[in-house]
Amino acid sequence: MNLRRLLAFSRKEVLEISRDPFTIGVALFMPVLMLFLFVYGISLDVENAPLVVVDQDKSPASRELQARFLNSGYFKLKAAPDDARSAEHALMRGETRAALFIPKDFGRRLAEGQSAPVQLIVDGTYASSAAILSAYGRAILYAFPGELRSSVRPEVRVWYNPQLRSRNFIVPGLFAVILMAFPPLLTALAVSREKELGTIAQIYASPLTKGEFITGKLLPYAGIAFVELLIVFAGGLLWFQVPVRGSFALLVAVGLLYVVCTVSIGLLVSTLVRTQLAAMLVALILTMMPAFLFSGFVYPIFTMPKAFQVYSAAFPTPYFLDVSRGIVLRGSGLAELWPSILVIAGYTIVVCVLAAWRFNKRIA
Amino acid sequence: MASSAVIEAQGLGRRFGARTVLEGLSFEVHAGEVFGIVGPDGAGKTTLLQMLAAILRPSAGTCQVLGVDVRHRPSLVQARVGFMSQGFSLYDRLTVAENLAFAAAIRDVPQPALAPRKAELLAMAGLERFQKRREGALSGGMRKKLALCANLIHEPPLLILDEPSLGVDPLSRRELWRILDRARAGGRTIVFATSYMDEADASDRVMLLSGGRPLALGPPGELRARAQGRVYQIKASKAAGLEDALQAQPKVISFQRRAGDELRVQMRDAAPPETVEGLTAEPAEPSMEDVFTVASAGPGPPPPESMRAALGTEAPAHRADRSVIDAAGVTRRFGDFTAVDAVTLSVRSGEILGLLGPNGAGKTTLIRILCGLLAPTHGRAQVAGFDVARESAEVRARIGYMSQRFSLYPDLTTRENLRFFARAYGVARDALDTRTRWAAQRTGLDADDQKTVAALSGAMRQRLALACAIVHRPEVLFLDEPTSGVDPLSRYRFWRLIASLAADGIGVVVTTHYLEEATFCDRLGLMMDGRMIAHGALSDLTQTLGLQRASVEDVFLGFIARERARAA
Repeated sequence: MNLRRLLAFSRKEVLEISRDPFTIGVALFMPVLMLFLFVYGISLDVENAPLVVVDQDKSPASRELQARFLNSGYFKLKAAPDDARSAEHALMRGETRAALFIPKDFGRRLAEGQSAPVQLIVDGTYASSAAILSAYGRAILYAFPGELRSSVRPEVRVWYNPQLRSRNFIVPGLFAVILMAFPPLLTALAVSREKELGTIAQIYASPLTKGEFITGKLLPYAGIAFVELLIVFAGGLLWFQVPVRGSFALLVAVGLLYVVCTVSIGLLVSTLVRTQLAAMLVALILTMMPAFLFSGFVYPIFTMPKAFQVYSAAFPTPYFLDVSRGIVLRGSGLAELWPSILVIAGYTIVVCVLAAWRFNKRIA
Repeated sequence: MASSAVIEAQGLGRRFGARTVLEGLSFEVHAGEVFGIVGPDGAGKTTLLQMLAAILRPSAGTCQVLGVDVRHRPSLVQARVGFMSQGFSLYDRLTVAENLAFAAAIRDVPQPALAPRKAELLAMAGLERFQKRREGALSGGMRKKLALCANLIHEPPLLILDEPSLGVDPLSRRELWRILDRARAGGRTIVFATSYMDEADASDRVMLLSGGRPLALGPPGELRARAQGRVYQIKASKAAGLEDALQAQPKVISFQRRAGDELRVQMRDAAPPETVEGLTAEPAEPSMEDVFTVASAGPGPPPPESMRAALGTEAPAHRADRSVIDAAGVTRRFGDFTAVDAVTLSVRSGEILGLLGPNGAGKTTLIRILCGLLAPTHGRAQVAGFDVARESAEVRARIGYMSQRFSLYPDLTTRENLRFFARAYGVARDALDTRTRWAAQRTGLDADDQKTVAALSGAMRQRLALACAIVHRPEVLFLDEPTSGVDPLSRYRFWRLIASLAADGIGVVVTTHYLEEATFCDRLGLMMDGRMIAHGALSDLTQTLGLQRASVEDVFLGFIARERARAA
C-alpha cells in the first residue's frame, strides 16, 4: 500500500465532502432527528390511559377502588356513566382504552368476606399496551383492599432499569440502529456517484490499488460516522439524561469499531451496484430494515422463531446493541462483552476484504 | 518490428451477454503514432479503448499494450497509460490545481516534478488564470483541456482518448489538438476515437469501425486513394430533377448538398453518375467522410424502396412562405446563470434554420423556450402565430419536437409508438390510422413492423422519432441534435428527409454540433455562451467575414474572434 496515493485519495474525498454542505448537513442532522423522533415517539411506558368507570354500587368501597385506579398514574378518568352499554360504546369507538365495572353489592360482599367480582375490560387492539394495562389493573385489584390474600407474598424486583423507564432502554438501542442506518448510506452514495459521473474511469486507469481505494474511501467516511456517533451519544446521554453505568470510554471505543464496520458495509454495497439510486435502495434494505426489526432494538431476538434468530445474527447491529445496552444499563465491561466485540471486529474485517475483492478496477 | 509496437491486438473481441460488441480486431499501433478510430455510436469505439486501457477484460483474442498483456497484468497497463474517457472525468467540486495535484499523486508523479509540469501543462492549455476555480465552473472546452492535462501529468508513453473533442467549441478543439501535437512531438503515442472526419484525416493511421468490425485500416491518404474515382461533384444551383435523377440510380450510394451550389455524390463503383441536361459530374478528391460512406456502403444492396418513396414531396400542407417563428430578445436565466442571452431570430415556413454551437451554448434551452416548455425570463417569441409564454398549449399543438435522446418507448412497436404520439397530440380517432401510415411512409418506415423499438437500429429509431414528431402534421419542427451518434451515411439520409419535409412547407429548426452539417441548412444561427453571435446564410456569413471559400469551422472561429475583439 502506497501511503502517498492513499492519503491523496482521502484528501480528495475530504475536499469533496467539505464542498457539499447539503450532504454533510443531512449526514449530521438526520441522526439527531431520528434520535429525537424515536425517543419522543416510541414510548413503551403507559401513562394516563383513558378509563371509563361504571360504578353501580356507589359504596365507600367502590369509590375507594376507583380512586386507587385513578391515583396510580396509569389511568385517568374518561367518563363515569351509569350503564354498561355506554361504556361498551366508548370502547367500541376507541375513546377509552379500558373500562372498569363495579357491580351492585360490591361493598357488601367485600365486607362479608365473600368473593366480590369486578370486571376490567382492556382494549386489546394494541396488544403490547393492553398487556401492560391489564397487568397494572391486576396489580391494583390484587392489592385491594390491602390485606394479605395468601401466605405467599411474591416480591418481584426489576434490576438495571428499576423504574422500567423505556427511555433508558430505547436510547442505547438507538445508538446501534442510527449508526447502522446512516453511515453506510453516505458511503454507498459516494462511490456510486463516482461511477455515475464517470470520474471512476481515471481511478481505474491509474496505479491506485484496490486496497488504497477501499482504505482511502473508508477513512474520511469513518471520520464522519464518528462525528455522527459523538453527536448521537451526546444527545442521548446529555439531553435525555440516560445514565451510563459502565465505562463511557469503552462505549466510544467499541462505537468507533462499529462505525468502521457499518461504513465498510456501505463500501461493499457500492461495489455491487452502478447507480446512486440502486446504492441507496440496497443500503436501506441491507441496513435499515434488519437494524430496526432484527436487532433486538424493539423486539427481543430471544422471542423470535429460530430461523429469524439466525438471520438476526448475520448483521452487526445486535452485537453492538448488546455492548451498548450492556455498558449503559448493566454497567458491563470487557469481561462480559468481549465475545460481541470480537464478532464486530471480525465482521468488519470480513466486509472490508469482501469489498476489496468485489472492487475490480474494471468497467465490467 | 515488434519492438516498436505499442499496441498489438490479435483477434480482439468483446461480448456483453449475448451481444457481440466487437469482433476480430487485429492491428498494431507503433510508437509515436497518432492512431484514429472512426465510427458511429455503437461501432464499439469506447469498448475497444477501454480494453486497450486494461479497464475492460477482452472476451476474445489477445492484446499487448506497452509490452504487457492486458488480460494477465492489467494493473501494469492501467498504471502506465493516460486514459481520458468520454464526458467529464474530473472532480467538479475540486479546483483546477487540486484536480491536477490529485491526478499527480495517484499516478506517482514525484513531488519535485509536479510544479514544473503543472505550470507547463496549464500554460499550454491556457488555464493558468483559473487554478483556483472549481472544475465544475469551467466551460466544457476548458474541462476537456484540464482532463487532458491530468492525463499528461505522469508523462505516459501512451495516451488513449475517447472522443476528446465531442461537443467542444471549435476554439477549444484547436487548443486541445495543439496540446496533443506537443505530446506527440514528445514521442508519445496517441490512440483516439472520434466522429470528426477532419481529426481522422490528420492522424497517421485510421481504423474505420462499423458494427464492431473493422471496415478499413490505413493512412488517410491511402484510404482516400481507395475511394478514388467513386466520388463526384456536380455544380448546380438547385437544379430541378437532378436530385430525383440521382435518387433513382442504384449505383449512387449517397449524395449531399454542399456549401452553395455543389452536390457531392458517392458511387458504388468507379463510374460517374448520370445527370440531367447540361450538367456534368466531375471526379472529386475523396474526403475521409466520402471514404467512410463508400466503405460502409460496400457492394451491398441499395437502400430499401420505402426510403426512396419517402423522399418525394407532396402538396404543401401549410400556406407557403410566412413567418412561423418570430423571437425577439429572448433571454433565460437560471439563477445567476444566463443560458440564453437576448436571442432574436425568425424562421419562415419551408426554411431550415441550423443552430450551431458547442455543448452548453444554449441551443437546447432556446429550443425548449420556442416549444413553450420553458418560459423566457425576458423577451417574447411567437411560434405558429402564438405567444410561447402565454399560449403555450396552442404552440405545443402546432409543433413537432424531437429531442436529443429520442423519446420513444423501447417496449412498444413502431406502430404502437406512432399511435401513442398521434393520440397524445390529439389526432382524431378516425384519422389515427391514416396519420400513422402517412408518418411512417414519409420517414421510410414500415408501419406494421412488429419489432419493438429496443430491437431497432439507431438509424431506424431516429427515423421513428422523426415520424412521431410529424404524425400530427406540425407547422414547425424542432430537432434537437437529431443526428448525434449516427453514422455519416444515415446522417445524410436523415438530412434528405428533413429537406423533403421542409419542401412541404414545414419550418424546421435543427441543432447540431457537427459543423459540417451546416451546409444542409438554409440559414445558420451560431451560438456561443447563450448568445447568437451570427445569424444568416452560410454564404452571407462567409462574405461578412471577407472570406472567399471557408469551412463552417473557419466561419465559426471568425465570429468567435470577432466577439472576443468586441468584448475586449
